[in-house]
Amino acid sequence: MIVTFWGHEFKVNLVVGCIGGFLIAIVSSMFGFGGGPFMVPLMTIALGLPMYVVVGSSLLAIFFNTLMGTMRHYQFGNFDPLFFLIMFPAAILGGYIAPKIAKRVSPLTVKRIAVAGLVILALNLLGVY
Amino acid sequence: MSQRNFSYCAAALLAVFMVFAVSNGQSKPKSATEKPSARKASSRITVQIDKSSVKNGGTIIVTGKAPRGKAVYLEVYSEKKVRASRFDADVDKKTGKRPYLLYMTHEMPAYYKIFAPKDRKEALDKIRKEGKSWSYSKALEDMGADIAYAVPAKITIDKYQATLLGSIIGSRGKLQPGMDAKENTKRSMQLVKARFRSADKVLSADVETAPDGVYKAEIKIRRGLAPGIYTITAVAGKGMKSAPVTFENKISFPLLYLTNGGTSLNLFGPFFLTLVIAIFGVLMGAGGGFIMNPLLVLFWPLPHTVVAGTVMPTVLFSQGSGIYNYSKIKFISWKLGIAIGLAMVAGGFIGPKLTEMITLDQFKFVFGWILLVLAGLMFWQTTPGYLEKNKKEQAILTEFKKQAEAAARAKKG
Repeated sequence: MIVTFWGHEFKVNLVVGCIGGFLIAIVSSMFGFGGGPFMVPLMTIALGLPMYVVVGSSLLAIFFNTLMGTMRHYQFGNFDPLFFLIMFPAAILGGYIAPKIAKRVSPLTVKRIAVAGLVILALNLLGVY
Repeated sequence: MSQRNFSYCAAALLAVFMVFAVSNGQSKPKSATEKPSARKASSRITVQIDKSSVKNGGTIIVTGKAPRGKAVYLEVYSEKKVRASRFDADVDKKTGKRPYLLYMTHEMPAYYKIFAPKDRKEALDKIRKEGKSWSYSKALEDMGADIAYAVPAKITIDKYQATLLGSIIGSRGKLQPGMDAKENTKRSMQLVKARFRSADKVLSADVETAPDGVYKAEIKIRRGLAPGIYTITAVAGKGMKSAPVTFENKISFPLLYLTNGGTSLNLFGPFFLTLVIAIFGVLMGAGGGFIMNPLLVLFWPLPHTVVAGTVMPTVLFSQGSGIYNYSKIKFISWKLGIAIGLAMVAGGFIGPKLTEMITLDQFKFVFGWILLVLAGLMFWQTTPGYLEKNKKEQAILTEFKKQAEAAARAKKG
């Protein structure tokens, strides 16, 4: 598939993109997260697209998955309205506060803290400690 | 956090308060159900309790008299009900085949526990040592508590035959005919384990009996359990049951009961957790769901299905607004996004079905590996080689974005 973006043409291997997206969508909707951190590497590395094409388009692709996943979870009775009402305002509020802090912290530091945090959490989930 | 951010916090909190003040008012417990707690039973075993209500957990002292020399069991359950499900894919010992059956009920008591005589402590310790692979039906037998097991045995259980094709198209499968009482009891025991997970949640050895048959037990109701009426029945043998006594577990704001989660929790807990994770998520450029979901199941006794199904919609809004902002400056390739998006729709159709087919332990295990992969990806993004490349990419991104914004403005003007 040929994608034109701001005057540049990119050849996209749709088979790889769709199979990858499909698998990421299964896992992310099964475990209830967005999937962005996996979609961006898929589209940049596996499809060889530059970052500026990926940022918006990956978000659009993920949105499809989140919408469908939400509907299906609702259908299976996995949605708790009160729980949602607790978390939703906090998520919105976080989205407003974060950009204001973002200028003051280095993304590299945040990423390093995140790596450490993720490893600790992962080991806990795997029952290592 | 600066002064300004703090005021944002305060404003949002106020809004949340108002939402819950309304919803709390509607779900007031019915006061008509407060019966006198002590009742003389006509059968040969009696039961009394020392108070008619507790506040978000507490200790109830149960006393009574049973025939001399009989072991006394107490069956305690809540009126509030929750959902429980179990996917049976274990090899059947008789046929050697995997049945692939999904058992599901909406009538599991949100709290269920059998209190056994004190001298059964050893049996309970043995069950504890079995770890995650313990069997509830065997535990009941070993502790002699199967005579007290009554309420979950009568719940309605739906049984679905899952097929490979059915799973692919995301169907639960064909609803199977109902089960006989014996089979229902057996399956209900498996569902009790699936719902409450650890032996300590559903069994304890606390009832002290004197030689003359007078017994006493301290029943500790944990914090964070379902509100409403709890019923206690004393059992001292087949058919020898006391009349039920009831007490009420009262919870009040800021504690809220999640009907689907079957858990009472302080609303500020998940609120602040979400807030912190959401901020952190934006800063590190990854959605918060990765960190949110495992923390939620680690901190609160929530089913993983409810966690996954409720966290997912919270990111819909931020994703939607992100798409809107990018589309305003024409920074989205609709063709590319929709093409891959359609494949993702198919994945999103299947995934939620699979959530209920796995146990919480499997959920944690797989999530652990997902997080390790994610940590690896993020670590790679902090290596010098990547940073060098990313710097150029980001520069191009910023340049293109500027052009796009300028173009959008020019069009407007």
